[in-house]
Amino acid sequence: MAEASANSPAVLRGRHDSREISGRIGSIVLNGRLPRHFWAAFFLCFLLVLLLLYSITYLIAVGVGAYGINMPVVWGTMISNFVWWIGIGHAGTLISAVLLLLRQPWRASINRFAEAMTLFAVAMAGLFPILHLGRPWFFYWLLPLPNVHMHWPQWRSPLVWDFAAIATYATVSLLFWYMGLLPDLAVLRDRASSKPAQLFYGILALGWRGSAYHWARYQVVYFLLAALATPLVVSVHSIVSLDFTFAITPGYHSTIFPPYFVAGALLSGFAMVLTIAIPLRWAFSVEDLITLRHMDNAAKLMIAAGMVVAYGYVSEAFFAWYSGKPYERAMMAQRALGPYATLFWTMIGLNCGVLQLLWFRRVRRNMPLLFAIAIAINIGMWIERYIIVVTGPSRDYLPSSWGEQSLTWLDFGILFGSIGTFFALVFLFIRILPAITIFEVEELAEEEGKLK
Amino acid sequence: MSLYGLMAVFADPEALVEAARGMRERGYRRMDAFSPFQVKELEGILAIPKTRLPWAVLAGGIAGAALVYALLWYSVEVDYPINVGGRPLHSWPPFVVIAFEAGIMGAAFAGFVGVLAANGLPRYHHPVFNAESFSYARGGKFYLLIEAADPKYRKGVTKGQLTRLGAETVEEVEA
Repeated sequence: MAEASANSPAVLRGRHDSREISGRIGSIVLNGRLPRHFWAAFFLCFLLVLLLLYSITYLIAVGVGAYGINMPVVWGTMISNFVWWIGIGHAGTLISAVLLLLRQPWRASINRFAEAMTLFAVAMAGLFPILHLGRPWFFYWLLPLPNVHMHWPQWRSPLVWDFAAIATYATVSLLFWYMGLLPDLAVLRDRASSKPAQLFYGILALGWRGSAYHWARYQVVYFLLAALATPLVVSVHSIVSLDFTFAITPGYHSTIFPPYFVAGALLSGFAMVLTIAIPLRWAFSVEDLITLRHMDNAAKLMIAAGMVVAYGYVSEAFFAWYSGKPYERAMMAQRALGPYATLFWTMIGLNCGVLQLLWFRRVRRNMPLLFAIAIAINIGMWIERYIIVVTGPSRDYLPSSWGEQSLTWLDFGILFGSIGTFFALVFLFIRILPAITIFEVEELAEEEGKLK
Repeated sequence: MSLYGLMAVFADPEALVEAARGMRERGYRRMDAFSPFQVKELEGILAIPKTRLPWAVLAGGIAGAALVYALLWYSVEVDYPINVGGRPLHSWPPFVVIAFEAGIMGAAFAGFVGVLAANGLPRYHHPVFNAESFSYARGGKFYLLIEAADPKYRKGVTKGQLTRLGAETVEEVEA
């Protein structure tokens, strides 16, 4: 720890005592007096929630043609939004589970909101495959329910695996998150001064009292859940990529997809972590708990994941050429030079070009610039998902049936509506639950000898 | 009202560990410690048995995977067999994917429900909450509880021992 902090900033800055830590984090929730800009931002997000509700209603009333998909491109922004959102969720699991297993102490102050981010991102992601269905009200046919149709789902279809993977991921993320919240809910229960707050947090805390016997079991199972979440997160995005690779469409049918999708998920997920963390630490003045060290490490993980993604781009192009198939080669040439060339080169510029700025320490520790890069990567990764989904079917085997997807207002209405809903949920989460893990930060402060 | 035990308050985890060790050396066995985060040394001192929950998690995982795999097998072999070009009905590789996810789900539920059940949670009330000094969070304090049911417990003696071991306050807790 000592030599590490010589050239990199400390995980926690300054000295803390546990009364101060729990008081400061708890009071964000219990005082309820949040700054005016918090509610202004929440209001803007709420407008986007309304936009999402309107767009979904319109989509269901009119049909999927309303958002610009048509033969031959029948997979449009609903699928790219889905892949994008799921990817964003993965960084949360990585921070909370993988870094826990690797015993990285710096995760403690950011794991809680990273897990919340996972939950909300998965909630958003789960909407899209359903909206993508022509008749969304039949989505439950993917479940093996005893029903009057006497049918079973097609177990050999990646779409059914996808359903199983997303359902499992959402459930396990929720359990892991709630379990991590238990001790902090007990802190809030004991600090709350109003009866409704005591009742609310008291019920949620399930009677947690911090007994040594309880802690011993709790930590074992918490580690086990982290160990379960780690293969799960890899399997989920791999299964998502199998939705594509199981098709013979040029541009989809590629063995690089599972690892390439997982790396892309981490890249976009860490970009989203920074997008939330940078304003959060500024707005609530918790720069000494979420320090430059966290930002720096997240930026480093971003560049690591980003280089794997860049490798994915290269190997995709290489194998299209090496396959010797004219269809694969034509698709790749059309992707770079055809109607989607502008988007393609924007994607390369953002995900491979702008990303390289993170090699410089001064860039990683410059918060406004890092925030701008994170936004750029978010956009770049959305474009990547869109390019993957759309360019393949648009340049299929028969040149006579080539065609493009046209983006309509509804595509953007649903995309920005989902982004607004995601942030509205994040705002509510910050208002209702402790956004920083109290007990782990206290433990960290104790271990670092920074507890008075 | 009967007596549940004595609750001693300590300012930091080191003092709690010292006191717990001291009380154990004096022969006390029915003790519990409370802290806002895990204090690892206490596991050895209080002789907390190693939890068997990992086995429950493993069992949950195996049960989830096996049940779902059996469901898939039943659906393709028994309930609704469709012969598509002579392909095998029981085509196991794709089934493994869903069974894997179900295994993770089963293991996670077993872990979550198991840890709550083993800890006796959710629980509406517990005698330690009767202690005036016991506030899990407000002071960031560390607590040691000696139960009155402990065979070594003597009213005045135990209290004095706790105070000599550095307790800030010692309080009698009603059951």
